[in-house]
Amino acid sequence: MFGAAQSTTNRMNDFEVASPPDDSVSALEFSPSTLQVQKNFLIAGAWDNSVRCWEVEQNGQTVPKSMKTMGGPVLDVCWSDDGTKVFMASCDKQVKLWDLAADQVMQVAAHDGPVKTCHMVKGPNYTCLMTGSWDKTLKFWDTRSPNPMMAINLPERCYCADVDYPMAVVGTAGRGLIIYSLENSPTEYKRQESPLKYQHRTISIFKDKKKTPTGYALGSIEGRVAIQYVNPVNPKDNFTFKCHRSTGTSGFQDIYAVNDIAFHPAHGTLVTVGSDGTFSFWDKDARTKLKSSEAMDQSITKCGFNANGQIFAYAVGYDWSKGHEYFNPAKKPQIFLRSCYDELKPRVN
Amino acid sequence: MGRKKKKASKPWCWYCNREFDDEKILVQHQKAKHFKCHICHKKLYTGPGLSIHCMQVHKETVDKVPNSLPNRSNIEIEIFGMDGIPAEDLRDHERQKNGGKSDSEDDEPAAKKKVEYPMSVPPPMMMPPNMMPPHMLGQYGMGMMQHMPPLPPYPMPMMPHMMPPRPIFPAMATTSAAAAAAAVHQHQQHAAAMAHQKPTFPAYSNATISAPPTTNNAGVGGSGAASNAAPLAAPDPHQQGRLPNAANASGNAAGGGGVVAAVSTKIMHPAEDASLEELRARQPKYQARLAIALATIAAGPKTNSPSNNGGGNSGGGGGGGSAASSMPSTPPPPSLSGISPTGSAAAAANAIAVSTAISKAQEVSSYHSYRNHSQYK
Repeated sequence: MFGAAQSTTNRMNDFEVASPPDDSVSALEFSPSTLQVQKNFLIAGAWDNSVRCWEVEQNGQTVPKSMKTMGGPVLDVCWSDDGTKVFMASCDKQVKLWDLAADQVMQVAAHDGPVKTCHMVKGPNYTCLMTGSWDKTLKFWDTRSPNPMMAINLPERCYCADVDYPMAVVGTAGRGLIIYSLENSPTEYKRQESPLKYQHRTISIFKDKKKTPTGYALGSIEGRVAIQYVNPVNPKDNFTFKCHRSTGTSGFQDIYAVNDIAFHPAHGTLVTVGSDGTFSFWDKDARTKLKSSEAMDQSITKCGFNANGQIFAYAVGYDWSKGHEYFNPAKKPQIFLRSCYDELKPRVN
Repeated sequence: MGRKKKKASKPWCWYCNREFDDEKILVQHQKAKHFKCHICHKKLYTGPGLSIHCMQVHKETVDKVPNSLPNRSNIEIEIFGMDGIPAEDLRDHERQKNGGKSDSEDDEPAAKKKVEYPMSVPPPMMMPPNMMPPHMLGQYGMGMMQHMPPLPPYPMPMMPHMMPPRPIFPAMATTSAAAAAAAVHQHQQHAAAMAHQKPTFPAYSNATISAPPTTNNAGVGGSGAASNAAPLAAPDPHQQGRLPNAANASGNAAGGGGVVAAVSTKIMHPAEDASLEELRARQPKYQARLAIALATIAAGPKTNSPSNNGGGNSGGGGGGGSAASSMPSTPPPPSLSGISPTGSAAAAANAIAVSTAISKAQEVSSYHSYRNHSQYK
C-alpha cells in the first residue's frame, strides 16, 4: 500500500507523515468511519500546543490540512462521532472543540487542572464529552452548556481513560481503576483492584466477537500489560504479559513504560508501543506476539489505527522517561504510517 | 570431604554446537538459524514446529533442520534452547568441555548424589559457586541452571521471562536438603514439561496477579526467594522505579550470601509517583507558555467560548506573560499553512508575533510554577 521511505530514523521503512509537530506527540487519532467519503484524517496533539490535521491518502501520502493551538501542551484529542469535529484537551485546563468544516474553535469544558483525557460518549439517548483531569475529577459535558452535566470525583489524578459505549474505564494515579456504565447516565459500575503493581499509563477497551465492549488492556510504566475482562467467565481469562524490555543479556534488563495500547478495529488484536522505541503486535486470544518492530531512535509516544484497520500510525518522540536532561530538542518528532492489516491478523491454529 | 563443584558451562545449541552466554540468545539463535521457514521467513519455535508449519502453510516437507550439523539435523526432536536435548548428547558435550575427561559423577543419578548433601558440612546450596568470580555470576546465572541437574534446586525459571509468580513447585522453594532430592526430579520433569509446552506470550504470566513485578531476580534458596518476594508484594507506589534493584539486594543479603540473581532490572521511568506528563508539564519551558496563555485567558477569552467558564481558569495567570496578546503558538511549517485549505495564514502571522513574546517571557526569571512542585531532575 505504501511506498518505501527514506530517512535513517525510519527504522521500519514506513511512510512518514509530512510536517509533524515540533515537539513530542501526545495524542494521535484517526477519523471515525462515519465520514461520508472514504477519507482518512489524522489528528495529532503535541507538546508544542498544536493540534494538527492531515488527510491520509490511499497511497500513503499525507496532506497537512490545518492546525490549531491551545494555551498549553495538548494532552489528548478525540473525534466527534460524525468526524466533523475534534476535541482537544490541554494543560491549560480547557477542552476546546474544533469544527473542521467551519475552522472554528470554541471552549467546551474546563477543569481545575490540566485535562489529561477527553472522549466522546455516543449513546442512543444522549451524547456527551467525558473529560478526566489531574484535578481528580471526571466530568461529562453536553458541549453547549458551560457547566458539566455531571462531575464524578476520582480517588486520584486521572492518568488514562477509554470509552466505548456503554462502557468507560479510568486509570488513575495510585493505581486506581474504575469502570463506569454509561447506560442512561454515567454511573460507577465497579472499582477494581489493579492487576498491575506499577503506575497506570494507558488503557484501552476491547470488544468481544459480538462487538460489545467486554474488557480492557491496561499498560503500566513497568513494561507490562494486563488483559482484563469486566466479567470474566473464568478467572484465568485475565492475565498479564511483559513487553518493552531489553533482552537482559548482560545480566541487566531495562524495563520501559508502555506508552499506548490500541486494538485493531477488525481483527481485535492489539498493539503496544513503548518508551523503548518499539511497537509490538499481539494476539491476546492466542496469547502470542505477532510481530515486534525495530527500536526507533526515540520512544514511541502514541499510536492508533484508522477506522478500517488498514493503517497503523505511530509517533516517535521523547516521552520524558529519562528526565529532562535526556531531552534533545535537535531530535524532531516523527509520525509514521504502516500498512498493517495483514500483520495484525490473529494467529490461526 | 568437600564435593567438587561442577564447572558451569554455557548454553549451547544442539544443532550446531555453538555456545552462547545466555539462553535467551540461544533461543534467538535457534529461531533465526534453525527454526526459520525458508519460504516465508517466519520464525518457529521448534524443529517439529517448523516442519508442521511448512507442511500446513506451504505444503512442503522439511526433513532436515536448516544449518545443522549432519548428525544433528533431526527435525523430529523437540528442542527449545537447552530444553529437550537428548541426555546422552548433553553428557557428551559436558565431557568434551571437561577436556575429554570422563566425569564419573555425571553418570551417577542425580537423586543419589543429592541425598548426600545433609552429610556434607555446609549445604552447598547456600554457597556461591566459588569457582566463578562473583561478577560473572549474573552473567552466567541463567545458563548455568539450565543444564546442571546436580545443582541444588533453585527456584529458577526455565526462561527468565517465564518465571511463575510463585514457585510452581513448592518443593523447589524449600531449603530443606531432604526435599532437595525429590525436587531435583521435579526440576527435571518440569524442564521436560516446559520443553514440550508451546511458548505463548514470551512474557505470559497467568491470571495470578500476586506476581512480584520483576520476577527476574530469582533469589537462591527458599529464604532468598521469600525475601525477594516480600518487599515486592506490597510495593509502595511512592517508591517506584529502582525498587527491583533494592529488592534484589535485600534478597541477596537475606539469602545469606546466596547466589546472585540472574538478571537485575531497572525500570526506565522516574521513581516519583507522577506521570511522565506531569513531570514534563512542570518544566519551565512548558510552564512559561502556559502562563502566557492563562494570563491571556484571564484577561478575556479570545475564543467564542461559552460565557461563564472562568471558574476553571482562576488558578492560572501568574506568569510573566505581559507581552502576549494572543495564544502562544509555534510557527506552523510553511507547507502546513500553504496547503491548508482552511487557511491559517492569520494564525501564522500571529504565531511569529507570539514566538517573540514567548522568548521574552522565557527570560523572566520567576516562572509560574505549577503546583509548587520542585523541578524534576
